[in-house]
Amino acid sequence: MSRNFREIFRFELRQTFRSPLFWGTGLFFATMTFGAVTSDSVTIGGGIGNVQRNAPFVILQLLSVMSIIGVFVTTAFVAGAALRDFERGTHELFFSKPMAKLDYLGGRFAGSLVASTGVMVLCSLGILVGSFMPWLEAERIGPTLAGPYLFALAVLVIPNLLLTGALFFALASASRSWLVTYVGVVVFFAGFFVSTLMLGDVEHQTLGALLDPFGATAIDLATRYWTVADKNTALPPLSGLLLWNRLIWTGVGLAVLSLSFATFRTTAGAPTYGALGRLLRRRKKVAVEQGSAAEDAPALVVPPASRDFSSRRNRSLFFHALRRETVGVWKSIPFVVMIAFGMFNLAGSSVVRFERFGTKVYPVTALMLDNIQGSFVFLLVIIVTLYAGELVWRERALKVAEVTDALPGPSWVPLLSKIGALWIVILTFLTVGGLTAIGIQLSQGYTHVEPALYAEGLAIEGVRFLLAAVLAVFFQVLCNQKFVGYLAMILFLISQTVLASLNFDHRLYRFADTPSMTYSDMNGYGHYLQGFAWFNLYWACFALLLLVGAVLFWVRGSESVWRLRVREAKARFRGPWRALAAAGLVGWVAIGAWIFWNTNVLNAYVPTDEQEHRQADYEKQYRKKYKDLIAPRIVDAEANVDIFPDERRVEIAGRYVLKNKSNRPESEIHLQLDPRVKVRRLSLDPKWRTHFDQRLGYSIYELPVPLAPGATMELSFQLMVEERGFVNQNSDTSLVYNGTFFNNTQYFPVLAYDESRQLQDRNDRRKYGLPAAIRMAKLEDVNARRNNYVSGDADWIGFRATVSTSADQIALAPGYLQREWKVGNRRYFRYEMDRPILGFYSFLSARWAVKKDVWHPGKENVAIEIYYDPAHAYNVDRMIDSAKKSLDYFTVAFSPYQHRQVRILEFPRYASFAQSFPNTIPYSESIGFIADLRDPDDIDYVFYVTAHEVAHQWWAHQVIGGAVQGGTMLSESLAQYSALMVMQKEYGKEKMRRFLKYELDQYLQGRGGELIEEMPLMRVENQPYIHYRKGSLVFYALQDAIGEETVDRALSRYIAQVAYQEPPYTYTPDLMKILREVTPPAQQGLLTDLFEEITLYDMRATSATWTKRPDGKYLVKLTVDAKKIRANGRGVESPLALDDSIDVGVFGEKTATKEGKKQETVLYLAKHRLTQPTSMFELVVDGKPIEAGIDPLNKLVDRTSDDNRMKVTAAGT
Amino acid sequence: MLSIRNLSKTYGNGVRALVDVSLEVPAGMFGLLGPNGAGKSTLMRTIATLQEPDSGSVRFDGIDVLNGKQALREVLGYLPQDFGVYPKVSAETMLDHFAVLKGLANGRERRAVVKALLERTNLWAVKDQKLGTFSGGMRQRFGIAQALIGEPKLVIVDEPTAGLDPEERNRFLNLLAEIGESVVIILSTHIVEDVTDLCPRMAILAGGELRVAGEPRQVIAELEGQIWQKTVTKPELARYEAEHEVLSRRLSAGRTVIHVWSESDPGEEFEGVAPDLEDVYFHALRHAGLGAETALAA
Repeated sequence: MSRNFREIFRFELRQTFRSPLFWGTGLFFATMTFGAVTSDSVTIGGGIGNVQRNAPFVILQLLSVMSIIGVFVTTAFVAGAALRDFERGTHELFFSKPMAKLDYLGGRFAGSLVASTGVMVLCSLGILVGSFMPWLEAERIGPTLAGPYLFALAVLVIPNLLLTGALFFALASASRSWLVTYVGVVVFFAGFFVSTLMLGDVEHQTLGALLDPFGATAIDLATRYWTVADKNTALPPLSGLLLWNRLIWTGVGLAVLSLSFATFRTTAGAPTYGALGRLLRRRKKVAVEQGSAAEDAPALVVPPASRDFSSRRNRSLFFHALRRETVGVWKSIPFVVMIAFGMFNLAGSSVVRFERFGTKVYPVTALMLDNIQGSFVFLLVIIVTLYAGELVWRERALKVAEVTDALPGPSWVPLLSKIGALWIVILTFLTVGGLTAIGIQLSQGYTHVEPALYAEGLAIEGVRFLLAAVLAVFFQVLCNQKFVGYLAMILFLISQTVLASLNFDHRLYRFADTPSMTYSDMNGYGHYLQGFAWFNLYWACFALLLLVGAVLFWVRGSESVWRLRVREAKARFRGPWRALAAAGLVGWVAIGAWIFWNTNVLNAYVPTDEQEHRQADYEKQYRKKYKDLIAPRIVDAEANVDIFPDERRVEIAGRYVLKNKSNRPESEIHLQLDPRVKVRRLSLDPKWRTHFDQRLGYSIYELPVPLAPGATMELSFQLMVEERGFVNQNSDTSLVYNGTFFNNTQYFPVLAYDESRQLQDRNDRRKYGLPAAIRMAKLEDVNARRNNYVSGDADWIGFRATVSTSADQIALAPGYLQREWKVGNRRYFRYEMDRPILGFYSFLSARWAVKKDVWHPGKENVAIEIYYDPAHAYNVDRMIDSAKKSLDYFTVAFSPYQHRQVRILEFPRYASFAQSFPNTIPYSESIGFIADLRDPDDIDYVFYVTAHEVAHQWWAHQVIGGAVQGGTMLSESLAQYSALMVMQKEYGKEKMRRFLKYELDQYLQGRGGELIEEMPLMRVENQPYIHYRKGSLVFYALQDAIGEETVDRALSRYIAQVAYQEPPYTYTPDLMKILREVTPPAQQGLLTDLFEEITLYDMRATSATWTKRPDGKYLVKLTVDAKKIRANGRGVESPLALDDSIDVGVFGEKTATKEGKKQETVLYLAKHRLTQPTSMFELVVDGKPIEAGIDPLNKLVDRTSDDNRMKVTAAGT
Repeated sequence: MLSIRNLSKTYGNGVRALVDVSLEVPAGMFGLLGPNGAGKSTLMRTIATLQEPDSGSVRFDGIDVLNGKQALREVLGYLPQDFGVYPKVSAETMLDHFAVLKGLANGRERRAVVKALLERTNLWAVKDQKLGTFSGGMRQRFGIAQALIGEPKLVIVDEPTAGLDPEERNRFLNLLAEIGESVVIILSTHIVEDVTDLCPRMAILAGGELRVAGEPRQVIAELEGQIWQKTVTKPELARYEAEHEVLSRRLSAGRTVIHVWSESDPGEEFEGVAPDLEDVYFHALRHAGLGAETALAA
């Protein structure tokens, strides 16, 4: 290293460490990582979750993400190093020195690279310091280790900085233009995002991991199935894809750098680049004097001009300035770059964002608006902050301020024109977002363009930025120092999240913070608009005060002493400004009072922590005493439910029949009601009330005459639920203008301790001194099986309901429609159920279109009815088809359908699930109705979800498990199996493979995120990744091993045995017993592996060759490794002796099927009993082999599923 | 016309920029001479409504400047020291913008004014070029063009000739000289020739205090018979500086010519010379208070 290099390097470093850019961004980034570690409200690249806050995995993730975001800053360093001397005109001073070009470039680049690294080191410090903060729970903090930081810096951060630094240093020195460099950054990121999304699914992960220049995908892949224990302690091995990725991209970085050094020009000026260059470059011509000296010019008299200082003139002055300021921002490079970046980001994330199982969703406007919110508008935070400073300081930065400040014209003109310009810029940005979104819709063949909805949605999204713009300008004016102004704005932004994390939720003191708005095609913005409008009006009044403040303190001239500024402000505070301030203040206070009336008087204001506190108290006070209470049970329910959608009100008049099913007299009735429910009348005498807890809604009544065993009594009630005015947060989504949907546990009296009301989050529970986890009752707990896992106060009940709603809506409840009539402007519907159902029923009301069909007309005559939003007709026929085919399968394989009707009811996307009630299936508008099934290659999950829900009519509504471990297997896993079989019949095995690959991935990721204990399937404790995902895999493997018919027969027997059973309810051993009976002895071990244990496999093809035999056939020699592993609930693994029948297969070329789809030919596929860790097969096949392997169709749970097969090569080559 | 009374200003860091400055400025060109840091720009900015004094008053043509900033701005033309431009805007666009801000509402009239000013400052030929490409002299001429929009009655130009080549400087001063005689023009400068060439009245500011004010001819006359000149060698210089009050030294054909101030003949073969404004200037920098009465009398 030469002395020159060292000197240049040292100088470059010194420059950086003195620059506000370095410290500003470094501290900002460090604050981000600090925030992410110390609070749940700051997340960087996904939340920390439940691993330790300073776990190696977290450190890796945070620094990885920061090194990617950081490119926007580090580019400024490297491009600065490349461009500074040419900009400042000092290049001639340098290049006239006796110094090698390499020393100069190397020193500059190395210096800027170290500076970039410095920013990342500050980020690391943010994490490190954050992990010592006293408010963090001790058990969420692991030991402080240097290793993870060093690993992250050495493996991720520095190679990433080297690569991007080299790229943009090269681009900057080749183009000599900041604009081109930053456009390059945007293009680079756009490419990065698009390729990440394209290669993001499980089918392209290897390529994706190699092509990701930042190595994040490789890290993700290496840690994808890590358990919490792994994340807390381990670092990914620097091998395999990760190592290759790092080598490739570091190599690329170095290559680009050398090329750039070699072609560096020491002369000033941009290269020409032909026509492209002419386009990119602004015309730069040096003004040349023409004509002669001034003496020769005629001493012209300046013509007289009238001057106008009227207030009307001031207004046009304002518009004149507004136009100039706005155009100035429009033309500025950072704005253009951010718009371009936002557009790419929006487009990229819209491509795959709404996929389920790789199947697209129609890009309906509501989703596009969500997407704009998620991946586009965040840039406005930067734009508002940045340009507030830029605009306020524009004249002073260019040193024109002394001229303009001394010009006549009122001081409010520049101020208001700057705020106005900022507003127009915000609106421009949003408009571009809207147009981009429309473009995306059109490009995906979706032509239902809704400009008015875009306008509304973007306006709603934009208001807070308009208000924030006023605040940002106010800060700049008041602070009167650009960076202090920025700092104030950043502190404000941070304070917003800090307030939230401290449960200061009320929007009366959270500037421009409005309730989040969800648009539903069914319900529009619904009742959300009201609160939104008032909160914004409230803050708009406050913004008016800020505005007046900014006018008063607007600095004109060079005076910055506070005493003098206050004097000036006082002098300016008169006339219209006084009036405006008074109007703002009055409006602010008055609207504030109105909001308070709505949020705290009409409605209860329950901050998040109070809500948690209540849940914790509920558990503390009642769980121990009453969880196992034996009380009279509901055997019949009848209700008159009057829904008033426009008023968001429901009147309930209900009658339960209670029966004492125990063998001793019962005198206590435990009645629980949501505190928001108003009781108008109750058949229980208030005098009997021995306990009344208004806050938690828990009362106990002591019957004067105990209810004898077997005796029944009536409990009737009149209730009213009303959503009045608007609330601060958690706006109710059950009672809405169009799409009301609630179930009995929400508003009806519940007569048993309700576990679903308990706090769920582990950390919240710990905070309130509760045991970290609520575990389900053990399988062996006979007592717990007195209840099914759906309702604790009823078994099978009779049900009838009269539901009414407004004239333009249909109201629905389980049961068959008996009668429909009208009274005044109300529509009434009478539904009656002809057989007992579970104590779980729902009420819905909306303006639906209805499509009707009949299954097996003339025979069972099951009516199929789809109630859907008229705009969402896309997949209604698929649903009908699926329902019919499900009925076809289930009625033959399992048992007859117990109802005469299947109804699917669309409800607004405030929730995104489908749920099966007796003959009634509410189905969210967001999950199936808008799926885009036009590509026949995609997985038809609408068909699948519908089949799953129909299957619940058997698995839940015929067979219901007790409230013990494994209960959800009996409904969810069996519904998964049933749906899979219907789908397999419809779409074939090839599709199943693809579908199951997603299930496998979800299962493995789910167990990675397990916090408590992974249970074997038959002991699943309501863990979705087990009862859905693993359930699919297990039952699919089971039918693969013992045959679909055998499984169906077993299930049919099971139904016959336990359907509609009274307590004690069935549990998984009942099913296992039957399965054991039907399974041949050789496969009994499989049942153990699948249901009773957690079993993982590691299959791998290690070599595969072919030789052609004289008879024209091919001999394939295949060597495979096979391992079987048992895991315990914490993810600790132990090897297991292998003795399994496993698929071995050889595959030939892809050929087109009848439908024109490519499918590989199966040359050989058979199960082989494997017992050794390594096996060799010699297989003779007819066609030319392409691939061969073990478990080639991925039926086993294998964490590296893509090494199961490999290419077959010719032997001896 | 312009009357400055007891103006004082002390900055937060303790620098006393103006100390009880009082000055009467009649119509015509007025030269304000002073070294860097003398308080010239503070005084200029205060008159131009851009800064608040701690005490004192400024009145112009019936306007109380400190309390009637808006009124003053309507008759003001100001060319600040070291002002910037929007580098990517053309001269004509920028001048038009300033004209709008100066209240020239009528588009046709405004365009005529802009054209006339650009022609008068000899910038018409380059009106479409970006200001960022202008040379220093062109930029100053642009500066005076913007200051002259709207027929100002008070024109303040703060150190306009610093850094200009002689030709450009002449050109610029000629422009100033063309402004009508009924207008108050304050030319602040540290270049003595600017004042000598141009200003019928002048003042010298140093250390925030007014040192001299009056007509150049008159203040020069006050030093009549007190300026002595001698050509000395380099080694002798230090001795002369110790023994005499040397006002200035300049090189002439490799030797040093010094001017000293003395009320009587200092001997040593010094020869008496007629004082010029430069002598007055250097003398004022060394001697506070001289000529203050004259200033008040004016």
